[in-house]
Formats: sequence, structure tokens, C-alpha cells
Amino acid sequence: MREILGRAPYLNTVLTLLVPLVLIAAATDAFGGTVQQRIVTTMFINMILVLGLQVYMGNSGIVSFAHIGFMGIGAYASAVLSMPPDLKAMTLRDLYDVLQPIDLPFWLAVTVGAGVAGVVAAIISYPLMRLSDAAAIITSFALLVVINDVLVHWSEVTNGPRTLFGVERFTYLWTSAGVAFAGLLFAAWFRESRVGLQLRASRDDRVAAQSCGVNMVFVRWVAFVLMCIYAAIAGALWAHFITSFQPGHFYLEEVFLILAMLVIGGPVSVSGAVIGTILVTLAFEGFRALEGYLNTNQVFGTQVFGLTEFLLALAMIGILIFRPAGVMRGRELRIGRRHRGGRGMPATKERAAD
Amino acid sequence: MTERSARDWLVVQDVTKDFKGLRALDAVRVGLERGEILGLIGPNGSGKTTLINVITGVLPPTSGGITACGRDITGLPSFKIARAGIARTFQTVRLFRDLTVGENIEVAALSVGKSRRAARRAAEEAIDELGIAHWTDEFASVLPYGDERRVEVARALAMTPDFLLLDEPAAGLNEQESEDLLRILAPIPTRRNLGMLIVDHDMHLIMRLCDRLHVLNYGRTIGAGEPAEVRRIPAVIEAYLGSAAEEGRDAPA
Repeated sequence: MREILGRAPYLNTVLTLLVPLVLIAAATDAFGGTVQQRIVTTMFINMILVLGLQVYMGNSGIVSFAHIGFMGIGAYASAVLSMPPDLKAMTLRDLYDVLQPIDLPFWLAVTVGAGVAGVVAAIISYPLMRLSDAAAIITSFALLVVINDVLVHWSEVTNGPRTLFGVERFTYLWTSAGVAFAGLLFAAWFRESRVGLQLRASRDDRVAAQSCGVNMVFVRWVAFVLMCIYAAIAGALWAHFITSFQPGHFYLEEVFLILAMLVIGGPVSVSGAVIGTILVTLAFEGFRALEGYLNTNQVFGTQVFGLTEFLLALAMIGILIFRPAGVMRGRELRIGRRHRGGRGMPATKERAAD
Repeated sequence: MTERSARDWLVVQDVTKDFKGLRALDAVRVGLERGEILGLIGPNGSGKTTLINVITGVLPPTSGGITACGRDITGLPSFKIARAGIARTFQTVRLFRDLTVGENIEVAALSVGKSRRAARRAAEEAIDELGIAHWTDEFASVLPYGDERRVEVARALAMTPDFLLLDEPAAGLNEQESEDLLRILAPIPTRRNLGMLIVDHDMHLIMRLCDRLHVLNYGRTIGAGEPAEVRRIPAVIEAYLGSAAEEGRDAPA
């Protein structure tokens, strides 16, 4: 065991993070009521989104808003593919004839949905990957707006701005938890991978990285597509959890929530993504309970709507001011030895063994 | 130069670089052969760093051509030039601050196309060569300045380049550190069969280290040859006395 962990320290990080996550899921499964089950299932779906954002934003250093649009693509694509034809005839009356009879099993629908989002992302994003700094952020925002516009107006497939209903429920607690665990393993591996290392080098210094042979556009592109696939899978799971939704769900509110989770946890490490998701979920539910309490008891003599979002925004501002690298400050959680940024070199290990 | 020997040369052929009305390089011709150390010297603003930036694709040349081992690399993006066998360091240290020293060096080896195993081996070799093994697992951001310089050289060497361009590797080092670095650098070209171009202001270091010198002033070549010859060229003496008199001020570009 020690041998394996020594060679691939990311496994140590993954196992360290899995312990509390499995405990949360198991405890919710055993003791949680319907409300807790919903909260934790949603938390794991959000965790997939945050991990995907970490893969791109954390490693490239470029903020992106676009991935929530791809969450929408994954949600609609998988929903249309998995919905039984008779239901489709009712909810999507203008659906193209080709798509009408398709009735895929859940996991296949998720896979195809993720594939569609991945292909769209791969085609659209390549020319954008040259951009850095503000230009990159603005274009990712523009991409989000464009995707939202398409979802709102492509009523043949999405039922337009209206709610799409009739999606079957397939996603339960362990479904979302299991996918989140797989996403965690992949994100931790990717960070140490060939492309991940090159991407992180380009994040720290663009000129130096390219002078070392890093094809920056390519490595950014790979990570961007991976992020969109993460988002699409999360969207597909969410669609089959919430069972009715509209394009507005894949927009600014969700963007802000997922971004807040990553920024508060610390975007540079996978541990930051996981910890941020848990912390913000706790805070969010705490604030919401507070808002409910204040409203039912008329503490301020009036209703206080939006307190939850307001406090969450305050928390994000606070983190950015007092701990700009997030709660985890770019470190990975690891059991057993002092944290080091990456893999130890055999040369030093031999020396230490002497 | 025969076709055969072209494989051992980095050739800068009449390269000119203009910045909005300012000619930073004026028809510069330089050859760098594997196994030798070439000193590129000249007063501040004479175009030394610009030449390195043009060779490594950070800046496109206005005219002229560059070949490495007989292959035309003019106008290629810098990552392709790196993969064509040209590595460099920077005047102001540019490390990947949130990567460990080991990762800093390994990623360069990986980026030029080495396998995981080969990259690790190349990194270890470079780390040992520069004597920085004790820093391997530390983040680059915690290094003392002198060791940052060494990590940057090790990072370039891990790419196993044919040509290594060092932009003021001894800048900011004290006498002892500079002496140590010189001892490390001197045997590298022979051992690794690579051509080393070195820019520095420390004439003592340059004179001892270099097989040949190339002198630039206002972007033009004003002298080239063996160190003993070059220091007798009147234009070189004038440029250097002039620059010595203006020490501390930025010389005109």
C-alpha cells in the first residue's frame, strides 16, 4: 500500500478525501430523511461540476463561466434520449422525427449526453484557447449566454423557455456519490498527468512554459473539453434527479454557486474543490434555515428574501479578501507525511533511505 | 559550411528585428556550434535579449532566417522551437512557482515529447548536474534567488537540447555563487554535445568561459572571434568604455 501511494501520491489525496465523503453518503443513507437525501444528492452533483471546473480553471488559471451551459446541454440531451416515446409525444410535441422513437437506458443516455457536450465543446472552444486573462473570461461568459439562448429558443428539443417535464428519475444518493467519487479520482490523476503538469506550468508562466515546449492552446483545450464533459454528466444526473427543469436553471445562479464553491475551497487543488463544495453546501443550507426561521418568526417584522444568496456572496468576498487562495490554499489533503506539491523524485527518496 | 556540418549548427542568418521605428537587430549573423560556448556581449539595449527572443520564437523576426541542425525554424511558435532542440533561460527568472522544483524540471522534459520514464531520468540527471537535489520536493516559490537560477538551467537541460541559450545566468549572484555556476556550466557543452550561448555582463566570467565572443551594439555586430582578438577591436573598446562611463544609466537602445 505504502509502495503504491509513494509512486502515485494523488491516490493518497483521493483516499483521504473519500473517507469523509463515503461517511457523509452512508450516514445520509442510513439516518437522513427525504430532505437530507435531496441535499446530499444535490451536493454530490454540484461536486462533479466543481471538480470539472477545477480541472480547467484550477490547472489553467483561467476563470470560466461556460461549463454551466454544457451542464444544460448534458441535461437536455440525456433527457430527450431517455424519455419514453409516449411521454415525448406529450411533452415535446415538435420533436424531430429522428429523435422521437429513441428510448435509451439511463446510463447510455448520460454517456451520449456527455459525448454530445464534449464534441460541441471541442469544436467551439479550440479558437478560444489562445485567449488569456480578461478576454478569456469574457468569451467564456459570452459562450454561456449563447448556449442559454439556444436552449431557450430551440423549442423542438428543449420545449423552449417553458419547463420540460416527464423526465424519469434515475439519480439517487449513491448514483451521484459514485459518479462524484469517480470524478474525484480522475481530477486528482489529471492534475499529475502529462497534460495536467503542462497546463499548470502554463498557468504559472505562459512564456516560460511555451519556451519549454508546452503547446498551451492544446493542453488548455483538453482540459476545457474535460470540464464540459464533467458538467454534462452532472447535468444529466441532475435532470434525472429533479425530473423537470427549464433553461433558466443553467444560468447565472448556478454559475455563481459552483464558482463560489471552487473559489472558497481553493481552485488550485482537487481537495479545495471537494472541501469548498461541502463547506458551501453547509453554509447554504445553514443560511437557508436561518432565512426560513427569520421569515416564519417575522424577526425583522418583514420577509427577508434572498438572504441565503446575499450571505453566500459575502462569504465569497470575505474569502477573496482574507484568504485569496481559498480554504485549502492550493494544497492537497494527504495522510501520513508532510504535504509536498507533487511526486517525490526517486533520487531524493534513495537519499532519504540511506 | 557543408550539408553535413549544418547538422551541428544553430545559424542566425541576417536577422533584423524592428520595434515601431526602432531597429533592435540589424542584419545579425551568428553561428553556434555544438560543443562550444559562445559569449554574446554588448552594452545595455544592444539587442542581446532580443536576439534570444527572436531565436526562441518569443518574438517573430522582421526579416532573416534561423536554422537549427539544418532545419528552418524561422517564425515557428516557441513550443515548436523548444521541441526542435533549443532551450533557454530568462533574464528575470521565470519558474513555475506553484510546481515543485522536481515538477518544474520534469514538465520541461515531458513537454518536448519524452516518455514519463525518460522525462524523469532526464530531470534527475539535470538536478544532479546543477546540485539542487535537496530542493526537489519543495515548491519553486520558496527557493533562494541563487538556486532559482540553477533550477532554470536544470529545467532547460532536462529538455536535452542541442542548443542552450542562457540570458544573464549570473545576474544578481554574488561572487561565490557566480564562481560555482561557472564551474557547473563550463563542462556542459562538451559532456552533452550542445552549443551554449551565454549573455552576461560579468566580463571576467565571459572571458574565462567562452570559446568565442560575439559583440552587439545598437543591434549591429561590431566584433566576433576569440576573446583575445575581440577585446582588441577598437569599436568594442569604444562601446565598452562608453557604456562603462554611463554605468547605472540606461544606455540608448
